[in-house]
Amino acid sequence: MPLDAQSDLDDEVLLVRFANGDRDAARALTLRLTPRVLAQATRMLRNRAEAEDVTQEAMLRLWKAAPDWRQGEAKVSTWLYRVASNLCIDRLRRAPQVALDAVPEPEDDAESAEERLQGDARMAALDAALAELPDRQRQAVILRHIEGLSNPDIAEIMDIGVEAVESLTARGKRKLAELLKGRRAELGYTDG
Amino acid sequence: MADEKDAFDPFLDELFAEASERDAHGASPDLLARVLGDAEAVQEGFVAPVARPSAPPRVPFWQSVLDAIGGWPAAAGLAAAGVAGVWIGVAPPEALEFDMATMLGVDDGLASIGLVDGSGFFGDALLDGIGESEG
Repeated sequence: MPLDAQSDLDDEVLLVRFANGDRDAARALTLRLTPRVLAQATRMLRNRAEAEDVTQEAMLRLWKAAPDWRQGEAKVSTWLYRVASNLCIDRLRRAPQVALDAVPEPEDDAESAEERLQGDARMAALDAALAELPDRQRQAVILRHIEGLSNPDIAEIMDIGVEAVESLTARGKRKLAELLKGRRAELGYTDG
Repeated sequence: MADEKDAFDPFLDELFAEASERDAHGASPDLLARVLGDAEAVQEGFVAPVARPSAPPRVPFWQSVLDAIGGWPAAAGLAAAGVAGVWIGVAPPEALEFDMATMLGVDDGLASIGLVDGSGFFGDALLDGIGESEG
C-alpha cells in the first residue's frame, strides 16, 4: 500500500501491519511518531544528541513490541511517550544536566528570514523557561500543551493520577507565564 | 482546586502551538533513516519465522500404497513371497511333485475317497448325480 494511503490509518492499525511485514507501515509510523518522541525527549533532556538516542531506542522498543501488541489495551502514542519518558528520566538521573544544544530548526522557505529569527527566539525563550521547571512539571507541561495529550493519557505515562497531572500542568504553566512575563513584547506578542 | 486548573494564557498557548508545529517536522533525515533501518531489521527478524504455513507436500501414489501395506519391510516380504511363488511354479522341487489325487487318497472317483458315505439320502443323491454326469 502506498505511503499516502497509510497516512490516515490509526497508529495501532499501522503497527499490526508492520508486524505482518508491511514496510510502508514502518515508514508511516517512523515519520509520524519519531518527531513527536524526539521533541519530548529534546525538551526533557535539553540535549539533542541524547534526545536522538532516546528516540531511536524508544522506537526500537516499539518495533520489537509490535508482534505481541495487544490491540485495544493501550494507545501506541501513549505507550511510546511512556517508554521515552522513562528513558529520559533514567538519563537525567544518571548524568548531570547540560545546557541545551543549539538545536537547528528546520528551514521553511515560506517563512521570511525575519519571521524565522523571531520564531527561533520565541522557541529558545520557551525552551529556556521550560528548563527552569522541575522535571515532573516540565514533563507534564510538554505532554499536555505541546504534544497535546489528554490528562488521562499523561497520567498513564507518568504513572500518577489525573488530579496530579492537572496540578503539575497548572503550576508549570503559571511558572512559565511568570518567567516569560517581561519578554512578551520582545518575542512579538502584542495582544496581551 | 480551581486555582490548580490550567489558566487560559493566549501568549503561552501561542508559544505552545508554535512549538508543536515545529516539533512535527523536527526529526533530521539521519535520525529518520536510523529509526527506519531499525524497523526493517526487526521486521525481517519476525517476518521470516512467521512464514505462512505451506500446503502439505503431495505424496506420490506409490508412496501411499507403500505406507498402506506397512512400509518397505512389508513390501520386501511381499516381493520375496512373490518370487518364491513364481519359482515354485516354474521349477517345482521334486518333493512337491505329486499327484493331487494321490495326495487326496483317490484315484477312481469320489466314491472311493471314503469321505462320502454312499448310504443314505445324500450319499445316493451325490452318487446318482455323479453317475448321471458320467453317463
